[in-house]
Amino acid sequence: MTETERGCPYSHVDFGLDTEIYGHYALLDGHREESRFHFNDTTRRGFYMLQRYDDVLEGFQRHETWTTHVRSALNPEPGTALLPQDLNGEAHAKLRRVLNPFFAPAAVKRMTPMAHERCVELIEELRPKGSCDFVAEFAIRYPTDLFLALLGLPVSDGEFFLPWSETLFAGFFGGDPAAAAAAKANIIAYFTEAVRERRANLRDPREDMVSRLVEARIDGEPISEQDILTICMTLMLAGLDTTRSALGYIYTHLARHEEDRRAIVADPGLIPAAVEEFVRLYPLVIQAGREVQEDGEFHGLDLRRGDVMWLGIGSANRDPRKFPEPDRFVLGRKGVNQHLAFGAGPHRCLGMHLARLELAVVLKEWHERIPDYRIKEGTTLVERGGQLTLKTLPLEWEV
Amino acid sequence: MYIAIDAGRCMGHGRCYAVAEDLLSDDEQGYVAQCGQTLQIPEGLLGQARDAADACPEGAISILEHARADA
Ligand code: HEM
Ligand code: SF4
Repeated sequence: MTETERGCPYSHVDFGLDTEIYGHYALLDGHREESRFHFNDTTRRGFYMLQRYDDVLEGFQRHETWTTHVRSALNPEPGTALLPQDLNGEAHAKLRRVLNPFFAPAAVKRMTPMAHERCVELIEELRPKGSCDFVAEFAIRYPTDLFLALLGLPVSDGEFFLPWSETLFAGFFGGDPAAAAAAKANIIAYFTEAVRERRANLRDPREDMVSRLVEARIDGEPISEQDILTICMTLMLAGLDTTRSALGYIYTHLARHEEDRRAIVADPGLIPAAVEEFVRLYPLVIQAGREVQEDGEFHGLDLRRGDVMWLGIGSANRDPRKFPEPDRFVLGRKGVNQHLAFGAGPHRCLGMHLARLELAVVLKEWHERIPDYRIKEGTTLVERGGQLTLKTLPLEWEV
Repeated sequence: MYIAIDAGRCMGHGRCYAVAEDLLSDDEQGYVAQCGQTLQIPEGLLGQARDAADACPEGAISILEHARADA
């Protein structure tokens, strides 16, 4: 007999551990097909895992009683404050209304020329070398530069900003805590200075996000200095590691699947569809956490106030009930837009359109300049647990 | 035929107007500008309307034979 918790089979798998590339998808696929729900006991509080597409979507939409008091099932402690994530209900909606206009498709379109220009500069810097660690030398630098631009800061600051943010990220995933704390202090001092400068020289609040944050009123009150800094920090934490990771998986795929690479080299018009299918196929935020606020029931699963829920994005995007042949990369797949890589419900990813733009620009500009490349022979690709990313991706090409 | 967009469900993913440019448009928040409305689908745009419904992750869009009385 299998042991169960309220009728739900146990999972003892620690999804926070590193594996070989795609190791987490194999585990998640196995879980989803073995039982509709699981109770995972690898964390202090444990969590209930929703894994099928329909269940995960419904979980996101139960936002009134399942809240972000827990943001990650793997790490249910409050930890670093994040905005807008930590808010729920009306307070969340009000802050999103202030932020949304800077991340809507129309605003992202305004960034397009700059996004291309910066991308080309970075590629041209690497191209003569004939090889690079794609993760460290490109995939993290590009979103960092665009993040700075989004805040109206000089892209050239990336040079000293990047080592800080990398040290801070490393701290979340087991790196040196003292170094991470020092890096965080540097980042906060940098943002504080940026906000102070903007208070002194307000720009057009329709185009400049920091000016808008400084000037905005929510229920007649300005957003506090502390909250503005938290928002800047959140955008950094939410936008850099994710985009880097997406690029790592996409380039691994394209290096290994010549036919898909040839297709986008031959017709760059396919790129937006390719980006959408890549984001579906390689979800890196494999779960969002939620905390149950009221006793209740979910399709036969008894839930109590305080239970931790795992909304299994990584399982849903690869659920064959929703996406036939889910392991295949299918350009123009029907219904691909309904994938949950960016979440759903009120907390759906604020940066999704920016992320799409970044990925599409990179695919276009890179393949125009470096259409053929391969993964360095003998490389074992390792994937970080928790929130997936490739630790390195050594690429080589002819110069 | 009609296309109806449920304002309670729409979360501004912006997939619908990306696939149905001739039928739907965006507002400055990134939501579909026609949120909460039921529109008659012009001649020739039924395909786009169906694509929009298939693209919405929230299931906010329905294609209807008749305009609902309450819409
Ligand atoms: C491929 C890249 C990305 C992926 C896969 C991704 C994924 C996600 C997911 C799944 C959520 C929902 C979390 C939840 O419901 O608890 C989310 C939220 C969020 N994302 Fe992204 N993201 C990406 C890029 C970005 C970028 C580039 C930014 C900003 C510059 C960003 C900013 C945010 C913010 C602020 C939230 C919180 C929204 C809220 O709680 O209202 N993301 N993201
Ligand atoms: S795709 Fe759906 S959620 Fe997104 S804007 Fe359109 S109707 Fe709203």
